[in-house]
Amino acid sequence: MNQILRRSLPLAAAFVLSARGAGAQAFQNFVTVGDSLIAGEESGCVVQRMQQRSWVALTANLLGVSDFEQPWISEVAATNPLTGYPCLGLTLNGTSLAIEIVSETGPYTNLALPRPYNNLGFNGSPLMADFVDLTVTTPGASDLDNLAGGVLRNCMGCPFQGMSAVDEANLLAPDLVAFWGGNNDVLNAMFAGVAIVGVTITPVDSFTNSTNQVIAGLSAPGRTLVTGDIPNIIDLPYATTIPPVVVDPTTMKPVIIDGQLVPLLGPGDSAFPCAPVAPDTGCPLPQGSLVMLPASTLLGQGVGIKTALGGTGQPLPHGTFTPPSTLTPGVVLYPDDITLIQSTIVSYNQAIAAAATANGAILIDSNADFAEVAKNGFDVGGVHLSTAYATGGIFGYDGVHPAPSGYGIVADAFIQLLNAEKGTHIPRPNFSNILFTPNVPDIVNSGVRTSSGGPWHYSLDTWRGFLNSGLARRFAIQMPAIPEAPRMVPQLPPAPRAARRVERHDVD
Amino acid sequence: MRQRLRAPWPRFVLAVTVIGFLATPAFPSGFQVMTQGAKATGMGLAFTGIADDPSAIFFNPAGIGFQDHFSVEFGAAVLSRASSDFAGANPYPGIGAVGSVQKQVFALPNLYIVVPLTADLKFGVGIDEPYGLGVRWNVPELWSGRFISQNAVIKSADINPVFSYKLLPELSIAAGAVYRFSGVQLERNTAATDPFTEAQVDVAHTKLYSGLGDNGAWGYNAAILWKPAPAVGVGVSYRSKITVDYGGTATVTPRPTGDPAFDQLVAATGIFGVHPVATEIAFPASVNTGVGLNLGGGFTLGLEADWTEWSSFQALNIVFTDGLLPNINRQTNWNDSWAYRVGLEKSFGAWAIRAGYYFDNTPQPEQDAGPILADNDRNVYSFGFGYNTPQWGFDVGGLYIVFKNRQVLTQSTDNFFGIYSEKAWAAVADIRISF
Repeated sequence: MNQILRRSLPLAAAFVLSARGAGAQAFQNFVTVGDSLIAGEESGCVVQRMQQRSWVALTANLLGVSDFEQPWISEVAATNPLTGYPCLGLTLNGTSLAIEIVSETGPYTNLALPRPYNNLGFNGSPLMADFVDLTVTTPGASDLDNLAGGVLRNCMGCPFQGMSAVDEANLLAPDLVAFWGGNNDVLNAMFAGVAIVGVTITPVDSFTNSTNQVIAGLSAPGRTLVTGDIPNIIDLPYATTIPPVVVDPTTMKPVIIDGQLVPLLGPGDSAFPCAPVAPDTGCPLPQGSLVMLPASTLLGQGVGIKTALGGTGQPLPHGTFTPPSTLTPGVVLYPDDITLIQSTIVSYNQAIAAAATANGAILIDSNADFAEVAKNGFDVGGVHLSTAYATGGIFGYDGVHPAPSGYGIVADAFIQLLNAEKGTHIPRPNFSNILFTPNVPDIVNSGVRTSSGGPWHYSLDTWRGFLNSGLARRFAIQMPAIPEAPRMVPQLPPAPRAARRVERHDVD
Repeated sequence: MRQRLRAPWPRFVLAVTVIGFLATPAFPSGFQVMTQGAKATGMGLAFTGIADDPSAIFFNPAGIGFQDHFSVEFGAAVLSRASSDFAGANPYPGIGAVGSVQKQVFALPNLYIVVPLTADLKFGVGIDEPYGLGVRWNVPELWSGRFISQNAVIKSADINPVFSYKLLPELSIAAGAVYRFSGVQLERNTAATDPFTEAQVDVAHTKLYSGLGDNGAWGYNAAILWKPAPAVGVGVSYRSKITVDYGGTATVTPRPTGDPAFDQLVAATGIFGVHPVATEIAFPASVNTGVGLNLGGGFTLGLEADWTEWSSFQALNIVFTDGLLPNINRQTNWNDSWAYRVGLEKSFGAWAIRAGYYFDNTPQPEQDAGPILADNDRNVYSFGFGYNTPQWGFDVGGLYIVFKNRQVLTQSTDNFFGIYSEKAWAAVADIRISF
């Protein structure tokens, strides 16, 4: 009797839940459009390993959509020099831990698909305008051209020449569309270490206009459109991991002198002008400043630390812009930068909400959802996930993009909202699969770079800090700038394309 | 007379109390255990309006006001699960995940002594275990709920001295003190993100423990039994809320992950070792109301409605007083509950047979049900028999408990979803000696 019961219970549960999931077939044709968060980028790259575990892939599977096609990007052993975009991972060399390049992107494996892909998300830092304006890509012209071109296949002579992501989505006549974009319109300020409207931040009017075009362009009678707003990027581990104060490398705790924390040094900006006191050439960062992950290399060299404490006294760089188009990235954000970033996000989100309302789209409040996760983490079955860098489980090694668990949270939020708004019964993701499946390259002789001089190294003490979840902000990280992505080998017919605007960082 | 009575019972008290330290019940209502007397158990626990043997000290101590002999009743309840299974649902642990609770057998001794001090004033003392919990999951290292609970235990033992006074020939009242010993235990694993693979792995096992003899608190009880006619008894029994503060230890031991590098990193966090912990549990107040009717022809009917103030159990907070581990703050948000009972006895001279039924509402909301406890409404069927003379007697009672399946599919504090099913049984046997 007991055995019968034990066998029948899972079946009963499966029956109940499959019956609940039968409503998933309410959607037959699912299409996604957006930036790297739609493409499935994790730790600096997009490869099939990540695409298969992205939130859109999870969602398509739970919807029961069997022919959800993605532009599969193979993952290959890292070469020297790189021929694809680098994928990051954590490696151990002796007693030294490092975030290193563990693989790279290889060729697309289904370029011959005769129709647009269902997943039209691409990385390369696309702005909101790119989803309607980027109708012709030029292989080799920029990272965005390379990465968008592989997804949209819209270069001169390519199958979808002249079509934007929105155009290709409509060509598929979907009944469910998920769109998430616009993050890079403000995220570039964080990568550049300076917030300048028109340079690292898209003006709100332009953003609003583009948003209206994209949302309206993706709307259609009988179609369900779901869109997300912009999270508070200041809460990303890229910006929160390194404290803006000096940390004692022995105790891994902030240095306190005369009862006060000792700020790191910066060059000042217009709101916080710097009058350095010799021998230092930098000034203390004002309270509320943020230091980006790439500052770790400089900190390891003593930059940003007072000479009296053994540092060089030089300031950590703040981003600068020299007209007409020279942007020199920095690694610190001053409070006025942060204020501008956050007020811009508020304005962007008002624009997104208005466009969603005007076009009958369902709005995911990604900003509120991420704020909740950043504050309290995410608990499932006694497993606690947090936004702590590398050890929290939610974010990948670049400190910007989600890891599989983070994408699982996104998929869960999407499905719950869809069920609530549309009365569907789409089953929620199975977190057992998400949480306990290792996320490592499946490559023989992966070509992991194991040189002791690898770029992003950590001490055991640093990792001790990482592992004390919730305390990560107390500890310094020895990590330099993200390595510059190489040019991808063009795989599509080349064609000329006008130069892009200001040169942008290659993270997204 | 009194001198004769004084000598033996302290040893009984001690012996039964020590045995009680070892006992843990298995399937409480909430975590309340009412099988504290064999006769009452046979009648579906509808005994508050009858209360005519020494176990009245638990069910309605005013009942001993009508008992005129020095009596000792002792025995034990044996409880176990017939089955207790879990089938998972999405989002976690997911469809296909299953689990089962061990079929532990728990023995709960009881002892009741009634001492007539005068014709109207009676003293009694009872030792019993009215609250407890024991949920130990099979295959604990693979059980999908292992990060919430692999083994949850609440133990208790009450010492309950009580005085009863017969105000009128047909009316008795009672009041007493309750000292409750209690211990708790919770075992579970801890997961962490393996930074090499971004996957969750078991890195530690934590055993929270506070012994039964280490903690205790006082409460009280009061009751009334009115017999407006020789064939009618009406009783009300109240037991107060008792909040026990616990002090104990959390022993954190490593769980090797198979990756020595990661194990080394985890060990470097300094979480392993013994940490002091503190918690508290608010055991609820309860009011039992019942009627006993002698129907003639040897038939006695018991009817009862019991209320338990489970709303006092709103949170389970565990504080790591050294601050080295994060505290556990878990909202439970239980509700007050009612149970409705009916029991019937047919006597044949000294022999009697009994049967009963009750329906017990769970106090636990859906979102709180999980690996620590997944309680639910239950239908309970009872039976029993006994042989009693004025000098001695014995009673045997049994329960078969059928829980409704507990579906946790929409709300879960632990984000742990699935369906729980459970069946259980209990048997109680008591011997009474009267002088």
